[in-house]
Amino acid sequence: MAPVRASKRGMALAVLAAVFAAAGCTTAFEQQLAEAELLRVEAAAAGAEWLQTGALLEQARDEAAGGDMDAARALVDKARFQGEAALRQAEHEASAWQNRVVQ
Amino acid sequence: MKNSAAMLLLSLVPMLTQQAAVAGPEDDREAFVEYFQSRFPDVAFAEFANGIYAIDEDARGQWLDIEEFPPYEFAVEQGETLWQEALPDGARLADCFGQSTGDIRPAYPRFDAGRGEVVTLAVAINDCRQTQKLPVWPYDSEELISITAYLAYAARGKPVVTQIHADEPGALAAYEEGKRFYYSKRGQLNFACSDCHVTSVGLHVRADRLSPSLGHTTHFPVYRSKLGTVISLHQRFSGCVRDVRAKPFALQSEEFRNLEYFLSYMSNGLEFNGPGARK
Ligand code: HEC
Repeated sequence: MAPVRASKRGMALAVLAAVFAAAGCTTAFEQQLAEAELLRVEAAAAGAEWLQTGALLEQARDEAAGGDMDAARALVDKARFQGEAALRQAEHEASAWQNRVVQ
Repeated sequence: MKNSAAMLLLSLVPMLTQQAAVAGPEDDREAFVEYFQSRFPDVAFAEFANGIYAIDEDARGQWLDIEEFPPYEFAVEQGETLWQEALPDGARLADCFGQSTGDIRPAYPRFDAGRGEVVTLAVAINDCRQTQKLPVWPYDSEELISITAYLAYAARGKPVVTQIHADEPGALAAYEEGKRFYYSKRGQLNFACSDCHVTSVGLHVRADRLSPSLGHTTHFPVYRSKLGTVISLHQRFSGCVRDVRAKPFALQSEEFRNLEYFLSYMSNGLEFNGPGARK
């Protein structure tokens, strides 16, 4: 299950990179932002999105628009971490919840 | 011969484990009730409908004082007015439900085989509005919550009888989804509903004591003195999901309707006693 997921994600990221290249907006920041956003969307699709992830990405965009790229990158890193952790959590819970059922 | 017997045994193993994993709802409910009764041996089964007041003497005393002048009375009255009110074409909301007023609340949540999903009371009321060509009410609106308060009041004393018909596989699937949601850890704090309302039941979390999930659905909607308003069960779900730092689902989302279906089934046999009053 996990490897399939990982390769699907890899493919989605590759497609995303290609789209960005074609659109001519290939700054490293924009790509990192898009990757973190994709992870958030995937976590949401798994019903596992964390509370602050969307807001972190929102703030990252604002910081970037204001020119503070260091702050923007730090926020994207946090959002990316949250997206990855939420997906790991969902993958783990796909079976782990059954151990908690009151018997 | 030996080989085929071994093969037969091996082929049975997945069947057996599968059955163990998908225990029937009734087995689940019995285990759930037994768990809380063994945690609180002095609490009578019927008392679990009262949430935290079943297990906390101090809170119970305060609650009984509050109930002298029920803070949800206004919502019940407003709900009754809306319920009786004639709609533009002369029909009334009551006309959509072919039941006496006290029987409406206990009929939900139910699995609608035609739609293939769980229908809650709030959804049914909005469906009715739609058939009357009226705009639906937002699920956190005073109007909708008042009507559920009125219908909850009218159903006081009736038993919870959540149905999962064996010939509707969708019903069992919806129940299983709700169960999975209930027992799954989520959010930055990595908590499942059961971590607080089963495993840690009765313990203190900041200023609160954790109530048992047995009986969680019987008394909604609930007047919250902290908020000064009456809230729905799904608003409470949303608050608890947010508290573990997960993004809450929409009120009346499929996730929350399935969760309500599961929790309602767990409370079968208790009495409806809404609206409630809580901190
Ligand atoms: C971190 C602990 C925690 C977790 C996890 C948690 N809750 Fe709660 N919940 C509380 C606290 C605290 C209250 C308020 C005190 C009480 O009644 O238990 C509460 C109240 C409630 C109530 C209202 C009880 C009443 O009688 O009015 C419901 C219903 C509820 N929670 C459902 C859930 C569901 C469903 C989940 C999982 C999505 C969940 N909770 C997860 C802490 C938690």
